[in-house]
Amino acid sequence: MPVAASAIYFLNLRGDVLINRLYRDDVGGNMVDAFRIHIMQTKELGTCPVRQIGGCSFLYMRISNVYIVIVVSGNANVACAFKFVVEAVALFKSYFGGAFDEDAIRNNFVLIYELLDEIMDFGYPQNLSPEILKLYITQEGVRSPFSSKPSDKPVPNATLQVTGAVGWRREGLMYKKNEVFLDIVESVNLLMSSKGSVLRCDVTGKILMKCFLSGMPDLKLGLNDKIGLEKESQIKSRPIKSGKTIELDDVTFHQCVNLTRFNSEKTVSFVPPDGEFELMKYRITEGVNLPFRVLPTIKELGRTRMEVNVKVKSVFGAKMFALGVVVKVPVPKQTAKTSFQVTSGRAKYNASIDCLVWKIRKFPGQTESTMSAEVELISTMVEKKSWTRPPIQMEFQVPMFTASGLRVRFLKVWEKSGYNTVEWVRYITKAGSYEIRC
Amino acid sequence: MAPPPIVQQKSSSPSQPSGYVFFLPSLSVLLLNRKPLRFLIPSYCLSRKSEVSDLKLQLRQLAGSRAPGADDSKRDLFKRVISYMTVGIDVSAAFSEMVMCSATSDIVLKKMCYLYVGNYARCHPDLALLTINFLQKDCRDVDPMIRGLALRSLCSLRVPNLVEYLVSPLSSGLEDGSPYVRMVAVLGVLKLYHISATTCFDSDFPASLKNLMLTDSDAQVVANCLFVLQEIWNLEANKSEEANRERETLLSKQTIYYLLNRIKEFNEWAQCLILELISKYIPSDSNDIFDIMNLLEDRLQHANGAVVLATIKVFLHLTMSMTDVHQQVYERLKAPLLTLVGSGSSEQSYAVLSHLHLLVMRAPMLFSSDYKHFYCQFSDPSYIKKLKLEMLTAIANESNTYEIVTELCEYAGNVDVPIARESIRAVGKIALQQYDVNAIVDRLLQFLEMEKDYVTAETLVLVKDLLRKYPQWSHDCIAVVGNISSKNVQEPKAKAALIWMLGEYSKDMPDAPYILENLIENWDDENAAEVRLHLLTAAMKCFLKRPPETQKALGAALAAGVADSHQDVHDRALLYYRLLQYDVSVAERVVNPPKQAVSVFADLQSSEVKDRIFDEFNTLSVVYQKPSYMFTDKEHRGPFEFSEEIGNLSLDQESMDNAPRFDESDKDLLLSTSEREENGGPSINGAATPGYSAPHDYNSSLVPLSSQTQSEPAVTSRTSFAIDDLLGLSMLAAPAPPSLKLNSKAALDPGTFQRKWGQLGVSISQEIPISPQGVGSLTTPQALIRHMQANSIHCIASGGQSPNFKFFLFAQKDDGSASFFLVECIVNTSSAKAQVKVKADDASASEAFFALFQSALSKFGM
Repeated sequence: MPVAASAIYFLNLRGDVLINRLYRDDVGGNMVDAFRIHIMQTKELGTCPVRQIGGCSFLYMRISNVYIVIVVSGNANVACAFKFVVEAVALFKSYFGGAFDEDAIRNNFVLIYELLDEIMDFGYPQNLSPEILKLYITQEGVRSPFSSKPSDKPVPNATLQVTGAVGWRREGLMYKKNEVFLDIVESVNLLMSSKGSVLRCDVTGKILMKCFLSGMPDLKLGLNDKIGLEKESQIKSRPIKSGKTIELDDVTFHQCVNLTRFNSEKTVSFVPPDGEFELMKYRITEGVNLPFRVLPTIKELGRTRMEVNVKVKSVFGAKMFALGVVVKVPVPKQTAKTSFQVTSGRAKYNASIDCLVWKIRKFPGQTESTMSAEVELISTMVEKKSWTRPPIQMEFQVPMFTASGLRVRFLKVWEKSGYNTVEWVRYITKAGSYEIRC
Repeated sequence: MAPPPIVQQKSSSPSQPSGYVFFLPSLSVLLLNRKPLRFLIPSYCLSRKSEVSDLKLQLRQLAGSRAPGADDSKRDLFKRVISYMTVGIDVSAAFSEMVMCSATSDIVLKKMCYLYVGNYARCHPDLALLTINFLQKDCRDVDPMIRGLALRSLCSLRVPNLVEYLVSPLSSGLEDGSPYVRMVAVLGVLKLYHISATTCFDSDFPASLKNLMLTDSDAQVVANCLFVLQEIWNLEANKSEEANRERETLLSKQTIYYLLNRIKEFNEWAQCLILELISKYIPSDSNDIFDIMNLLEDRLQHANGAVVLATIKVFLHLTMSMTDVHQQVYERLKAPLLTLVGSGSSEQSYAVLSHLHLLVMRAPMLFSSDYKHFYCQFSDPSYIKKLKLEMLTAIANESNTYEIVTELCEYAGNVDVPIARESIRAVGKIALQQYDVNAIVDRLLQFLEMEKDYVTAETLVLVKDLLRKYPQWSHDCIAVVGNISSKNVQEPKAKAALIWMLGEYSKDMPDAPYILENLIENWDDENAAEVRLHLLTAAMKCFLKRPPETQKALGAALAAGVADSHQDVHDRALLYYRLLQYDVSVAERVVNPPKQAVSVFADLQSSEVKDRIFDEFNTLSVVYQKPSYMFTDKEHRGPFEFSEEIGNLSLDQESMDNAPRFDESDKDLLLSTSEREENGGPSINGAATPGYSAPHDYNSSLVPLSSQTQSEPAVTSRTSFAIDDLLGLSMLAAPAPPSLKLNSKAALDPGTFQRKWGQLGVSISQEIPISPQGVGSLTTPQALIRHMQANSIHCIASGGQSPNFKFFLFAQKDDGSASFFLVECIVNTSSAKAQVKVKADDASASEAFFALFQSALSKFGM
């Protein structure tokens, strides 16, 4: 009988309680003190997000400057509990509009209590969908200051939908201009050895969608993935058009996607929620196009001097360019003086993270850039044997480029009124954890 | 900042100079109408009492008001009440005023009021009665929202006396036209069950829920019915036969298929619970299994990781009996699991990774080609790195060992020291799995050349284990190990390993006797009993191989060992001594028998435990890596185990990993002894008995073996003292020891304490557990100091911060003698243990004192 939570607490970094909600009596009221004393005020903080103290389990995560702690006494479902927290935070964000932090909680604590009441009852998660909750819990509350009767127009309707299965879309939406925005956001994770061989590389991508469509439209999305194309050519009995196809390792979809149809026909068809949502997530490990190559050479000249040479090559199309490129080269703590020569961008030494930070605002495709730096170290009396070098890390964004090669082939919209829609597609590739050992 | 209390403004206005009278009322109106009243929780220094009574007064004024804007100001006041409640200030005094104000149509006000009432009703049952009336009225409101809210609050009052008022609103709630109200009512039944199970059964609610579950059109109502019935019947199952039957029907084919067919109607959270139920279902045949799996396969693509994990559980459990399908299921699950690991926050990945870890441990070969997924990113938190390291270790085989070990060696230089250690251990474990040992031994020896203390320490332990399994590598290893200066090795485990090698391979290491001699000279500085034990054994082994060089060192070691306060060290020294006295060749056979290489190191967990964890897939058990009864059942969790568990969670993983190895090494010593006993038992016993009965005789007989002992009178006297002590204790144990009285007004100045502490030897050193209550109360050292003072044990110095506190305490015998007991007590709250060292002027009473001390400490926090 896995219960998700017996109590939930929101604490600030000092350990003050911002919100507490007890759902069940099986945990004591002072549990938050136990958390404070045995986790927050010790080195244990951050060593493990699931801890047991005095018969209760504490599942906690930090989001901006707030700790959210779930307390359970029994054998709970951990994945469910963490997912619940993440979803609840997303819900709160959609209510406050953006930031979720201590101030936002303090300013909205009544609203949060209201929501906590609805999203979980006696430890069982209920409904966390913002679309539905917003029907009957509004920022200002359903108020009727002058009449004694509640303005019951939206309410009965809402309670019908509160529990409905197709919970993600309201009926009767109307837009003057019907538009769909698709964003394909990929992050490349790379781990490269000091010898330049790729140890591990994968892409996690997501397709974000913004829908402003009237009525109850039916959408169908076509991608250049191998399985989907093969299936399609089978059905239409014509050969696959030439062009790059890619192999998706694994896909997960928003609940609106008809999974049965995906499994049988390999097409992504769905009735979208209104507004912004994450349509699908995917993962690719084969045939990843790395946007950048990094070639570092670091020489330790004696005990007080180091020479750092980093060459970065962009290997995407010449017409494209990367934005916000940052290369972080770790140096020892006892760095005293640095001097740089760069072919583009600016470099400086950041002592707080012990790194040489090289920033290039705009990096065109098919070019290369180098930084050479000389680092002087304070000679220490303690004989330090070898300095263990953390990896070089890189950040970037490349618009209109996908590391996986994924492309949207079509997006079809059907609605019974037959209106025309405008579809917009954007691609962007970001650095996930892009690490090069040196 | 908090706005100034409004009433103060008002009341102060008349006393103001006339010029201001005109101005102030308008200000207060302004304040009243300020809508987005930004409210901050006041600092604790404000006088709360006056704040609360202020609030009461204002609420009372507003209670009857129907004036426009009254609701707004009520809202502001309610917000303040709730925020006080959140920070833990008791605002229950305003209960009646809050109830009076709640007669409103403003739904937000109502919600705040319900929250308030729910919070305080339990401790003020009489006041809760006040609310029943308006809650019951609200349960009949036209608005389903209000009906639902009121019903939820009514059930959340948790006052046993008011149960009678719950039944009728609940039964009408279950039949309400609005699904929202039904949904609330269903969970209301569960709340009622927890307050009063009999009322719940008397009103026949479970039967109505069962009916509702199978017929209601609304998915959430059905899901809630399922949660409630599941929980009730699980709790009742041991009590009645009927409940057990009901629980079975929930798992019947009919119910399961009913839920399966509707599964897409349920929201993600309800799906999790339904899938959990399905995983317990026992399918009738293989078609049944495939039907269910086909129905659920698309759930593996769900965006919610919890749903995916729940589906995985169903798949795994359904196919348990079909080995080949089970294996295919693993293959099928890999991709979704790996995706889940890579998405979401690190806490979520941790939850998923723990499950992946479990599967990898069950079937490592199925994951051996996916090893790159378990490479650590520099930015991964250490709890994730740790799991990944364990998985890399498990999946190593002929084909991937080289890559995995290369990767692990990268981590050995990691900035994160625990991870660096962990990765060195991982390399060693892989070596013990027998793949590519040659290359690994080279790598390990390279670690020793890194000359980092912790790397050396870990590597030594590993080299020792390797040698026990692959004695053929001794030549290469010993050459490198011989170069390590024992001064650079501080950690007990590493030191013990080094000493073991010195003893075992003393023939091949020219310096061995001299290094051992050096170590024995510093016997008194060696805190760890484990090291001292190994030192004794190593000295013996070395002596048997190179007698002339080691004789002196062995004599010193035995003398020191016999005088040692640690029971095991003392016993082992005695055993060796008697063995030598009896017959050196027998001793040789006991201490240095031809050893067989260890082929398999003991597994940490029994397979039964592992299966139980697997049964509890998708719960905390997997994260904790132990079955749920170990951390939830009160019966299984006596105070002792309980306190251990707290420590085990994260700190002691390390020691858990290592403990068996030492057991192992101890065991093979013990084993050889017991084998010896089987063969020639009587002779040893014959030798031991006289020695035991005549300690002085024994003392003098030590002389011929090592004449050095006698030339150090201090050592000999201490030896006899320790033995007297030993005998004294055994005599004391028989009759009840005279109860020890302590002087409640004992005084000792710090200087004297320090001097005595330096002079006296440790008479008792033990680790004792502390009760959870004690741990809870130990927020500052002062709490414990006050408690001990009440037991006539005084504190002279204390310090430390959670979780480690250190105390120096003393007590004096209340018989007029100036006999003091000095105590050093190191408390670790996270492991809930206290390390206690007692020194006493009168060592014979120290046992009695220790008992007193222990009982005083055990009462702490009660």
